[in-house]
Amino acid sequence: MTRTVVRPQWVGELGRSFVTFSAALVIGALVMVATGRDAWGAYRTLFAVAFLGAQNLADTLLAATPLIFTGLATAVAFRAGVFNIGVEGALYLGAFAAAWIGFTLTGLPAGLLIPLAFLAAGLAGALFMLIPGALRAYLRVDEIVTTIMLNYVAISFTSYLVNYPYAVPGLANAMSPKIALAAQLPRLLPPSQLNLALIVVLLLVPLVHWLLSRTTLGYELRALGSNPIFARWSGVPVPAVILQVMLLSGFIGGLAGAGQVLGVNYRFVDNFSPGYGFDGITIALLGRNTALGSLIAAVLLGALRSGGATLELFVDIPKDLILILEATIIFFVTAEFVLTFPRRRHAGVH
Amino acid sequence: MQAFTDLAFATLRLTTPIILAALAGLLSQQVGLINIALEGMMLAAAFAAVLGAFYAQHALVGVVAAVVTGMLVALVFAVFVLRFRANLIVAGLAANILALGGTGYLLQVLYQTRGAFAPPGLRGLGTVHIPGLSQIPILGPILDGHSPLVYVTWVLVILTSIFLNRTVTGLRVRAVGEQAEAAATVGIPVRRLQYGMLLAAGGLCGLAGAQMSLGNLQLFVYNMTNGRGFMALAAVFFGQAQPWPTTLGSVVFGFFDALQIRLQTTVGVPPQITQILPFLSIVVVLTWVSWRRYRGRPVAA
Repeated sequence: MTRTVVRPQWVGELGRSFVTFSAALVIGALVMVATGRDAWGAYRTLFAVAFLGAQNLADTLLAATPLIFTGLATAVAFRAGVFNIGVEGALYLGAFAAAWIGFTLTGLPAGLLIPLAFLAAGLAGALFMLIPGALRAYLRVDEIVTTIMLNYVAISFTSYLVNYPYAVPGLANAMSPKIALAAQLPRLLPPSQLNLALIVVLLLVPLVHWLLSRTTLGYELRALGSNPIFARWSGVPVPAVILQVMLLSGFIGGLAGAGQVLGVNYRFVDNFSPGYGFDGITIALLGRNTALGSLIAAVLLGALRSGGATLELFVDIPKDLILILEATIIFFVTAEFVLTFPRRRHAGVH
Repeated sequence: MQAFTDLAFATLRLTTPIILAALAGLLSQQVGLINIALEGMMLAAAFAAVLGAFYAQHALVGVVAAVVTGMLVALVFAVFVLRFRANLIVAGLAANILALGGTGYLLQVLYQTRGAFAPPGLRGLGTVHIPGLSQIPILGPILDGHSPLVYVTWVLVILTSIFLNRTVTGLRVRAVGEQAEAAATVGIPVRRLQYGMLLAAGGLCGLAGAQMSLGNLQLFVYNMTNGRGFMALAAVFFGQAQPWPTTLGSVVFGFFDALQIRLQTTVGVPPQITQILPFLSIVVVLTWVSWRRYRGRPVAA
C-alpha cells in the first residue's frame, strides 16, 4: 500500500458504490431508450414510488426486509470466503418451518409462538446448510455447486409439501393452511404490510456486526476470508469455522423465510420467493460483506424492487429491467476499474 | 424393452445441451477459469435461436444467432473477468442475472408475454434419419432420429479431446490451467488463450441453447435453462475437466433428468419429488468423487 493520501476507507467505498449505482442507471436508461421507453419518466416514477410519502417509504422497507436478512446471511459466508449460494433454499425451508409452527401450535400465545416460529425457521435453514457445509468443510466438495443444486431440492421439496401432505383443498394455488392469528406479526404502519419483521432484522444487523468484529468466530472467519493459508497456519480450525459459518448463514436465511410467512403471506405459498436469496448475493457484494453495508444495499435494492412492480403496471416497462440494473451493479461492484484504477497504477501493481 | 429404448432415446436428447455446456465449462476450466456463466450464455442463446429461426424462417440462422449471442455474453464475462479483474464467481452470477433479465425484458417488450414464446411457423431443427441405422436392433431406435445437433455434439466431444490432448494449442491451454504464471514465463500468451477459450465456451453454450429451444422443444420459455448450466458445471467438477469423464458425468445427469420425466408420466410420482432427482444425484456423485479423491488426507482450506 503506497497510497499517500490518507482518507477514511468508507469515503472510497461510498464513492465506489455511488459510481456503480450511477453506471447501472445509465445502462438501464440506454436499454429503455433503445426499446422506445421513456427512461426519465421511469426513473422519476421509480424514485417517487420508492421514497416519497410515508406509505411508499414503508413499502420500500417492506421490500427491503427479506433482503436485509438474506444480505446478512450471504455476507457472513462471503466474508469467510465461503461462496454460499444456498440462502434461497434455506429461506424456503425456514418459511415452511415457520408456517408449520404457525398453523400447528395454534393454542400458544403470540409471545411464545412468534419466537418459536422464528427459531424453528432458523434451525431449518441451518439444518439445510449442514449438508453443503459439512461436505465443504470435511470432504472439500465445492460449495458453489452443491448449494446451487440443493436450492432446487429445497424449493421442490417445499412445493411437494404444500401440494400433497399439507395441501389445502379448494385453493387454486398451492399453499399451506393459514397460520394462527397469534403468529401474525403486527403491522407497523398500516395499510402498508410493513411489519415487525423489520424490527427483528434491524436488531440482527448490530448483532451480526458485533459477531463479525468482536467475537472469536468473527475474527477466525475474517482471517479465513482474507487469507486461508495464513489462517490455517495461525491455528484457525478451518473446517470447524467453515461449518459454523454455513450454519449461521443458513440460520439467518431461514429467519428471512419466517419474516415473509409471519409478516406478509400468513401461509407458506408455493414458489413465493422472487429470488430473495439470490438478491442477498448482490446485497452482500454491494455492502462489502459488512452488516451495515448490507443494510444500506438492501434498502436500495428494496426501493428498486418496490418501484419495479409499479413500473410494469403504470409505465409499461417490464420489471425485468430491475434484473438488468442488478446485473450491471454486480458487474461494476466486482470489477476493479472504477475508482481503484489510478491508485493501482500509482502503486505500480499490475 | 420399449420403455428402455424410450428412456435411452430421451437421455441422449436431454443430455445434449448438458454435454455442450459441459464442454464449454471444461475449456474454461482448462485455462483456470471456473465458468458460472454457462447458464446465462445458454439462456440468452436459446432466446436468440428462436428469434433467428423465426425471422429468417430457417433453423440454421437460429443456430448461428444462438452461437453469436452465446459468444457475446461470453465476451462481456471475459472482459470483466480478464480485463477488469472481476471476481470470477460473482461476474458469472451477474452474467446469469443479465441473461435472465435481458431475455425477460425483451420477451415482454417485443412479444408482450412473460411465459412461453412459440411464434407460429417457427422452424425447429428437425430430425436426422441415417439410412440403415434404424434397422439395427435396440441401438437403432435409440440412436436414430435425433436433431442434427445431437450428432454434432458427439463429434465435438471427440474434437475437444483431440484438441486438448493432441494439439500444440491444446497443450498450451492445459499449461495455463495447470500453472498460469509458469505458462506466461515460457512465453505462452495466457490472456489470449483465456479469451479464446471463453469465447469458444460461449459458442458451445450457444449450440446448447439452440438445442434446447429449437431441438428438444420449438419454443422459448422464460428461464427455460432452469439449472442445466449448473448441471454442466457439476459434470465438469465430476470429470475434473477431462473431455470423456466430463461427458460421462453429463450423461449420468441427463439420464436422471430423463428418468424423472419418465417417472412423472408413468409411475405417477409427484413431479416435485422426481424433479429433485437430478439435482440430488449431482450432490451425491460429487460427494463420492471428493471422498475417493481426498480419503484420509488432512483437509486444507
